[in-house]
Amino acid sequence: MGKVFDWLDSRFGIKEPHKRFLQRPIPQGLNYSYCLGGAAFTLFLISAVTGLFLSIYYVPSETEAFRSIVRINDEIRFGRLMRGLHKWSANLLIVFIILHTLRVFISRAYRPPRELNWIAGSLTFVNALASGFTGYLLPWDQKAYWATVVGTSMAGTVPFIGRGLLFLVRGGPDVDGITLIRFYSLHILFLPLFMSILLWAHFHMVKKQGISGGL
Amino acid sequence: MKRREFLKRVAKSFFLLLSISIVPLISYLYPYRKKEKTFKYFPVTEEEELPERGLKRVDLFYERDGRRISSNVYLVQSSKGLIALSPVCTHLGCIVKWSDTKREFLCPCHGGRYDIEGRVVGGPPPAPLTRLPIEMREGIVYVGLKV
Repeated sequence: MGKVFDWLDSRFGIKEPHKRFLQRPIPQGLNYSYCLGGAAFTLFLISAVTGLFLSIYYVPSETEAFRSIVRINDEIRFGRLMRGLHKWSANLLIVFIILHTLRVFISRAYRPPRELNWIAGSLTFVNALASGFTGYLLPWDQKAYWATVVGTSMAGTVPFIGRGLLFLVRGGPDVDGITLIRFYSLHILFLPLFMSILLWAHFHMVKKQGISGGL
Repeated sequence: MKRREFLKRVAKSFFLLLSISIVPLISYLYPYRKKEKTFKYFPVTEEEELPERGLKRVDLFYERDGRRISSNVYLVQSSKGLIALSPVCTHLGCIVKWSDTKREFLCPCHGGRYDIEGRVVGGPPPAPLTRLPIEMREGIVYVGLKV
């Protein structure tokens, strides 16, 4: 394994630039709560990989969506496990982002020069919540449908622009097949793309600014 | 052993362990072959008792997983001979009922409506009522169900 990797790396040269990132001095006084961000990232990776696999069998159409979910659950080998992993990694992702945010807040790691990274992290959190909201509709069962009816109707209460906003979010006056496609596209294309860019920025700043010292 | 070496080995064995997951992943991707359920024929009525016009509702019972399940089918004298209609609404699977006054099958859940031959005449159903195969043997009518 090592030899194969060395052969590849002598041509590709990816080890050296990453060594500076992965093997760097860290300040004194850190503890395991500094791993919460990494745990959140791992959960993001798990939901990304399981999501890729789910997209092989999921059909984002009004008539087929629920049936395809039932198929994944009941007929595809390890399909239930795949859905379970996707669901739980997504749920835990939110939990771990909140825990990570608390750690950063308590250790006052948001202070200059790291304000922008706090902002990037906040956007990551919003992105994760949006992924959760759009993903919730995809099983296309009664719970998903009505949750989305209620959730999107909140957009309609915004003063002045509410009606237009509601129309934009749903892609029409009601939650229907058009909303499903819209949410599907956001869930598997737009949001993961934004998430990747945000996380890249987040890690870039961690690398440049270093980890703030412990309390 | 240094701590760094130890941790490296732990990380490596973790990834080695992770590589086992290739087996379930491939098996997940391997297309599922559907086991075609075959029709099982149930005697529902005698040939003489079939209606000359209109329809007749017949009840039948079968066992599944040790539980007795009651079901029914509609035998309809259509323009093209006898047909058997499943009462399962093609929208979301509720059981439709024949209404003598309206001369239609009505679904109680979301208002699906079918005519006497099972064609959709209103409501959300995407397809007509399923037609079930019929067999006549020695004056007895058998209807095939996938159970």
